Amino acid sequence: MNRRFELELLFLAIFAAVPLYATQAISAPPLLAFHAVMTAVAARVAFGKSPEVIPAAVMRVFAIVYVPFYIIDAAAISRSAIAASTHLILFIAAYQAIESAKTRNTAQRLLTASLICTAGVATSTHIAILPFIVFFGFLLLRQLMHLSHEETIAMTGTLIAEPPSGRAASFYVIGALAIGTCLFPFMPRIRNPLLPGMTGPLSNATTGLSDSINLNETRSISSDATVVSRVWMGQETIPFFTPLRLKGTIYERFANNTWIQGRRDFIPLDGSDGTTRVARPEGFTRKAGVQQRFLIGSRLFLPVGSFEVSGAGQLAEGPTRDIFTVWSSHRDTIAYDVALARDTAPRRPQNVTVSDYPVTPAVRAMARQIAGSETDPMRQAGAVEAYLSQRFRYVADPSQIGRTMTVDQFLLHEHRGHCEYFAAGMVALMTALNVPARIVGGFYGGTLNPLTGYFVIRREDAHAWVEVWEGNSWQTFDPTPASLRPGNAHEGLLRVYAAAVADSINYFWDRHILTYGLGDQLALAVSLLESLRAASAAMTASLHTTALRRFMSLLAMLVVAGFVIVMMARRRRSLFDLLASHLHRLGIDVGPSMTTAEALHELRISHPTAAADLAPLIAMYEAERFSGKVERGRVRRIRQRLAGLSES
Amino acid sequence: MQARNPLHATDIHMPVTKQKWQFDGVVRLTRIGTAFVIFTVVIGFAAINTGNNSLYIGLSLMLGSLLLSGIASKDGLKQLAVEFDGVDDVWAMRPAHGRLRIRNRSRLWNVRDVIVTADELATPICISLINRGEEIIAHAMFSFRRRGLTRLTRVDLYTRYPFGFFLKKRRPRLAGDVIVFPRLLGDDIPRDRFRATEGELQSTNRIGGGTDIHSFRDYVRGDSLRRVHWKKSASLGRWIIKQTEIETGRSVHIVVDPYRPPHVSEESFEEMISEAATFLDDALKSGLEVAFSIPHVTLGSDRDGAVSMFRALALLESTREPVAQTVDRDSVIFTVAPSVGDRASGVGA
Repeated sequence: MNRRFELELLFLAIFAAVPLYATQAISAPPLLAFHAVMTAVAARVAFGKSPEVIPAAVMRVFAIVYVPFYIIDAAAISRSAIAASTHLILFIAAYQAIESAKTRNTAQRLLTASLICTAGVATSTHIAILPFIVFFGFLLLRQLMHLSHEETIAMTGTLIAEPPSGRAASFYVIGALAIGTCLFPFMPRIRNPLLPGMTGPLSNATTGLSDSINLNETRSISSDATVVSRVWMGQETIPFFTPLRLKGTIYERFANNTWIQGRRDFIPLDGSDGTTRVARPEGFTRKAGVQQRFLIGSRLFLPVGSFEVSGAGQLAEGPTRDIFTVWSSHRDTIAYDVALARDTAPRRPQNVTVSDYPVTPAVRAMARQIAGSETDPMRQAGAVEAYLSQRFRYVADPSQIGRTMTVDQFLLHEHRGHCEYFAAGMVALMTALNVPARIVGGFYGGTLNPLTGYFVIRREDAHAWVEVWEGNSWQTFDPTPASLRPGNAHEGLLRVYAAAVADSINYFWDRHILTYGLGDQLALAVSLLESLRAASAAMTASLHTTALRRFMSLLAMLVVAGFVIVMMARRRRSLFDLLASHLHRLGIDVGPSMTTAEALHELRISHPTAAADLAPLIAMYEAERFSGKVERGRVRRIRQRLAGLSES
Repeated sequence: MQARNPLHATDIHMPVTKQKWQFDGVVRLTRIGTAFVIFTVVIGFAAINTGNNSLYIGLSLMLGSLLLSGIASKDGLKQLAVEFDGVDDVWAMRPAHGRLRIRNRSRLWNVRDVIVTADELATPICISLINRGEEIIAHAMFSFRRRGLTRLTRVDLYTRYPFGFFLKKRRPRLAGDVIVFPRLLGDDIPRDRFRATEGELQSTNRIGGGTDIHSFRDYVRGDSLRRVHWKKSASLGRWIIKQTEIETGRSVHIVVDPYRPPHVSEESFEEMISEAATFLDDALKSGLEVAFSIPHVTLGSDRDGAVSMFRALALLESTREPVAQTVDRDSVIFTVAPSVGDRASGVGA
């Protein structure tokens, strides 16, 4: 095999495995081992040596040993059939590269590289996978062209130079992309229920939201621009429902210096027409659209004020109250609509109690001092919120404090911390005032994308705030100083627009590629039908004018006539066939070794008159066929005269 | 006078040269194509089962590649126009160099790795690349089984291009007539060769390429000026050509009798024609002057050239009735007609 193509084939397998680092479908050591072996093979090939970086005999022993190892790997080491299978494919790729010294196995190696690529693609959700697929496709098609050329040579046994295939491969990749783009929306999006869970999204996502707020551990916050959610709100909605708060989890119990979620079972919610009511609205309502990435199972991050959810499928309340989860989802991302109300109350009356935070006398005294003479819980909460946000200092990075602290220490001594301390401190103070309160974990603020008109909420917008029980509903309070909350950092205009462009591309990828499903297909079908109906109606309306109707009739006739002419021209027989056919009717069979002149000679014997008629035509035919002298209209004249003879 | 009957009737058919990969039909899935289709089905199953749109992207591209491969190879072959561009002297059962003119009429597809086969091609031709709108001349070795006028009616074009998933075939029409000269017998076939006897030149009283003047005639266009008899031309006031006599020892008269009695097979007749052609060829190669006769036609090597004699022999059809021909005592007659004794004594002598 051509060394350049051999190197390219090795690179193809190496390249195919690269996305696996990012998707973390398998751990790094096997990948590194694979790349080390393949790079060593490529280096040997580049220097004109055999690819046997490990002797082929040793590799065969490895292959035999690998069979039981695969089971051990799946059961005990990686504990995943998918990961173990990916390891196996990588081993096969390395084995084939080494074995190629003795066996011609290009086709098998291309198949293995494609399998590695599939493993990477199947576990990836980032848009960066698209250029990877295109480049991989380019290399694969070029290799296939090379293989096709080699097979052609093998078929004929003749050695012919291979034409350059770079441009051709580019041409076909673009073509395949164009066809693939057209096919993609129409692929059947019906999930087979027979083999659920064979593969699925592999999410190794981490989030700012955790199951608990453990104040015994040092918290660290790193900037993570991964988009969590995008929320569309019209101009009539934005003034009343911003800054956005997406509710992700609720901490309402305290134990061992840790705030934890209130446990409860998942309760399926009834819905009709794809709409599920999650709360009771109070006051005016508005609509919003949400596209959300699942970070914790299939939990929804609903904007505060949501009372109805549409298009998300079957919902359940859980794992704690007022938090909602999609009952069954195998996707990474979901799109749905919500109805927002100025105020909302729980669907059913709730048994609300004061949190179990162990209030110390000092904290109780502090709470009473802040509340003063206020007895109304909401006013008391307002006072506490104002006190904390004005008197306490927000520390964006908890590691700056350098040690852990309790809520009491935060309230009584430190007076500084990040949002969880502010929220926990307020709940402690409200508990001291005997008012039910809870910490809400979620996302806050977000950035308005000026290009697309939606708010982008990222992981770095994770935040904690407080809900206080009003007696009928939970009211939101946020003791963290407003100017220091997430999303309030000011950036330059250029950077804002650059981020907006990048996010718009990401949005398109997420919305129209990753989350494209049966619902979108139905919407597309409806849209196409409506367009067709509209076009048909417009045409019908325009056909009411007589002139246009005449024109269209004429056009249709011309098209039909043209079609008939083309079909007739296609069926046109050669002059020789026409002459032979005419001679056949006269009893002369023009055999394969008979010329028209000889046929004419025979005709002269049997039908002298017919021969006299045909002689000039045959002379014209011979001149047309053999003289090389071009005479315009000669063929037409022969055909016409021959047709005349046949009719007579 | 000598008569020559075919010594034996051999199989005139060429060995079958059909390649393993040739097939009847339009398309065949290759091994790699089968693997690709199976892989596509597996990915499709996984995509449908999981609803994973990343897999759907891969599936769309794979289907796109399959579709494109089919369209490219089909349309690429469809747009190839093949014309017969001539062939050098052709002898039955013997390779001859010829040319095919192949034009890619497509405005879109370049076509690569095209194999051209035909019954008349000795070996398949492999063409590396024909760019769109381009015309190439492919040189090929032709081989014909039978003498006579052969019409080239079709060639088969095969390609695996672009990705080798399919082996596509198309059979474009071809228009070309070739006169195939009779088969020449190989050196391994025992036959009598004509041997000239130097120094025993005798006049035969027939027009030929000798030195003695036989007669005079008027000049006609095409006559060599070297043959003008200047003295007579001057006296008569017009150009007069001298005709010389053929000389025995440096000349031979070959007569081919086309009569094939009912009990004689076509193969035997063809074998006789081959014998005659071989004899004629040997005579011409020996530098002899040849007069060649078939019914109603006598051709001379000096006047008509060797090609016309082989052409006549190529087109000679057997007859069901004996045909009278003038023969000399020294004429070499080729016939399959019943003869006197073992050796034919000639027909119509």
